[in-house]
Amino acid sequence: MNIDEIFDFTSFTVDRDPHIILDTEVCVGCKSRGCTNSCPARCYTWNEEEQKMTFVHDGCLECGTCYVVCQEKAFTRWRYPRGGFGVAYRMT
Amino acid sequence: MTRSFQAIVVGAGPAGSSAALTMARAGLDVALVERGSFPGEKNMFGGVLHRLPGLEKIFPDFWERAPLERHIIKKGVTFMTGDSSFNTVIEAGSFDRPPYNGYTIFRPRFDRWLAEEAVKAGATLLTRSTVEDVVMKNDQVAGVSIVGRKGELRAPVVVAADGVLSFTALKAGLRRPTFDPGQMAVGVKALLELPSDVIDERFGLVREQGFANEFVGCTSGVRGGGFLYTNYDSLSVGLVFHLASLKSSGKTPYDLMNEFLEQPQVAKMVRGGKLREYSAHLIPEGGYKMIPELYGAGIVVAGDAAALCNATGLNLEGINLASHSGILAGEAVVEAHKRQDFSRKGLANYKKLLDDSYVMRDLKLYKNAPQMLHNNRIYREYPELLCAVMEQLYRIDGAPKENLSKLFLKAAGEKVGLKALAADGFSAWRAL
Repeated sequence: MNIDEIFDFTSFTVDRDPHIILDTEVCVGCKSRGCTNSCPARCYTWNEEEQKMTFVHDGCLECGTCYVVCQEKAFTRWRYPRGGFGVAYRMT
Repeated sequence: MTRSFQAIVVGAGPAGSSAALTMARAGLDVALVERGSFPGEKNMFGGVLHRLPGLEKIFPDFWERAPLERHIIKKGVTFMTGDSSFNTVIEAGSFDRPPYNGYTIFRPRFDRWLAEEAVKAGATLLTRSTVEDVVMKNDQVAGVSIVGRKGELRAPVVVAADGVLSFTALKAGLRRPTFDPGQMAVGVKALLELPSDVIDERFGLVREQGFANEFVGCTSGVRGGGFLYTNYDSLSVGLVFHLASLKSSGKTPYDLMNEFLEQPQVAKMVRGGKLREYSAHLIPEGGYKMIPELYGAGIVVAGDAAALCNATGLNLEGINLASHSGILAGEAVVEAHKRQDFSRKGLANYKKLLDDSYVMRDLKLYKNAPQMLHNNRIYREYPELLCAVMEQLYRIDGAPKENLSKLFLKAAGEKVGLKALAADGFSAWRAL
């Protein structure tokens, strides 16, 4: 299983208006950045060279892991997607 | 547009649909609000649905009507290392006779069916509706607002059944604003398609018999475990991790999943399976000590939203507890309607009903299990110890044999340490 191919095996209806907004400036000062390894969909990536956090909500499985592991209160918005958007499980 | 109901249920999962069904059957005008485009679209779980005494009372023919996969006749636990595994399996004749002890199911199918039953009973299902906030009136919850919609849904009482993060309970001030990663777990699952006759042959099953297996020692030392459940023509395979442990490990769920699927004995079980879906969800594993305020003025909380999940290490119960709490929440709301009292006091009966039921009794009984499961040795050293001892026992190579207890104590001393072994045995005995 290659996580980069998540869109091949799980369905999403991506909302342009993100359901999670991250203040990536806060992440620069974070000591753990546990979101980068804990997120099961690899939505968070940290670039050590540029000291920059990138978050993409497109493949978010809406599991809630980041909401719990973030220790810096870096989210300016964390809610579930608007009705009808986001991940759509068919047979899980 | 603002609409009024006699009760609003947030979330059409097992807790919400059970609550809506109970209230609609009692004649209340109920809204069942679901953020997915159909109920079950957002829901996932490991895989075994156990007996549902509450729903069985409402539908005596529940198990004939619900959309199910296989009934579980065989349950196993595998203690494993990178290249060996030690299995214990129970297969019982009684597990193959109705009423069955458990079934595998697909949530998008099962949850949708249960919500439709609530609709048949008279509930109004509103899909594609994500609740934004609770509406307050005279310090009492009096409805909800929906993301991206004007107007509100109003009712004198709201049942928060919106799952593990329950923003409805948060907005109503019933749960704490942050969660402890030590009390949460994340499950990841791969749905692997495999022909039903291959599943039957591979796992020794006939008709619609099913197999459920748990794994310990498969998480590279991260606190957690694995599972493999047989559906009709697919396997549900996955891992569950305690969040605090996963976070500090620096490891990723998908890498650990791949390692698990490639472990030689697991690889043989899943061989030929085609990946059809990958999913993930949080599990409130803190048990009794994690339960938030269960009721407030104009609101009650049920299911995962109330952290009603029993993780003892052997079984992982959630849907049965969710459904039962939903029924009791529904009954408490019906009662409150009779007295027209939706104050905190008027809804307090919900907690009493829950305390008297198996839901709270079981959670209380196992209240120390979550802490016991925080012992890191369970996830690496003990599976290694078991496999090493069993391997030694069966090895016949001309070397003089040692007696069993000596062999065990020697291996235990090396892998775990005898003092730790005694302490762990004591804490497991106390917790279970």
